[in-house]
Amino acid sequence: MTLPSRLLIKASLVYLLIGSFLGMILLINKGLNFEPAIWAFLPVHIELMIFGWIIQFTLGVAYWMLPRFLEGEPRGQSFLAYIMVFVLNLGIWLFILTELTEVSDTFRLIARSLELVGVLLFAGLHWRRVVTYNKRGNH
Amino acid sequence: MPLITRIFLKTGLLYFIGALFVGVALQVDFLGIPNLVPLFWHMLMLGWITQIIFGVSLWMFPGRIKEESFQNQKWSWLTYILLNSGLILRLISEPMIIQSEDYLWKVLLTVSAVLQFVAVICYVIEIWPRVLSNKQRRKKKRAKS
Repeated sequence: MTLPSRLLIKASLVYLLIGSFLGMILLINKGLNFEPAIWAFLPVHIELMIFGWIIQFTLGVAYWMLPRFLEGEPRGQSFLAYIMVFVLNLGIWLFILTELTEVSDTFRLIARSLELVGVLLFAGLHWRRVVTYNKRGNH
Repeated sequence: MPLITRIFLKTGLLYFIGALFVGVALQVDFLGIPNLVPLFWHMLMLGWITQIIFGVSLWMFPGRIKEESFQNQKWSWLTYILLNSGLILRLISEPMIIQSEDYLWKVLLTVSAVLQFVAVICYVIEIWPRVLSNKQRRKKKRAKS
């Protein structure tokens, strides 16, 4: 498993832990209603679980498992993969920060744009890896 | 495919079908059960997608002990048992906290929340050491033999 994959997968596991911890607190609060202000963390829980956990984990596994190139760098330019990891996570953290503080909505736009750049890099790195090397080409 | 993965995948499929039934029921307001929207999303995202990810990663990630037993796969089995008991408890208790004043439902919802979180901890304990580079994997293999 390559370093960008390990970074994505381990980061996703950390997000899973934090996101599900928040989910636990939110659900307990739903039953026992000890602090209504906790509901402010709901968008953070959703961001952590969807972008941080599910999306990031699948990107990490895809980078590892999809067919590699037969010539040159097996998974394309690795520095682009590191930028992908960095901008995706920067976007997630900026989005969470925006939800937790009263900063301008512009930051939310920047956060989503960073995530978009990460996803574009992912698509660019993987587009030509969605291939078959089977000679008949029908499997 | 190991038994634990097959069980994760088949349970995931059942949640997928269940979630879509709930989704349809929500559109026609058929069941009249409160709190169905969060149940729909958690059946889909946790019962289906997360469960599929758990099952497939436990099978495909390096470092799996091929000999199947509860002892060898204890964290995986604990993940499955805790996650699904937590989810089922949630499916029952979350609508009931609106419909009934009984404190028991609130306690059950709290228990379900804790069970789901502990399941996640068990999964991370199992899978974290298996996120390895080829070099680390070879080193680990050599150390074992």
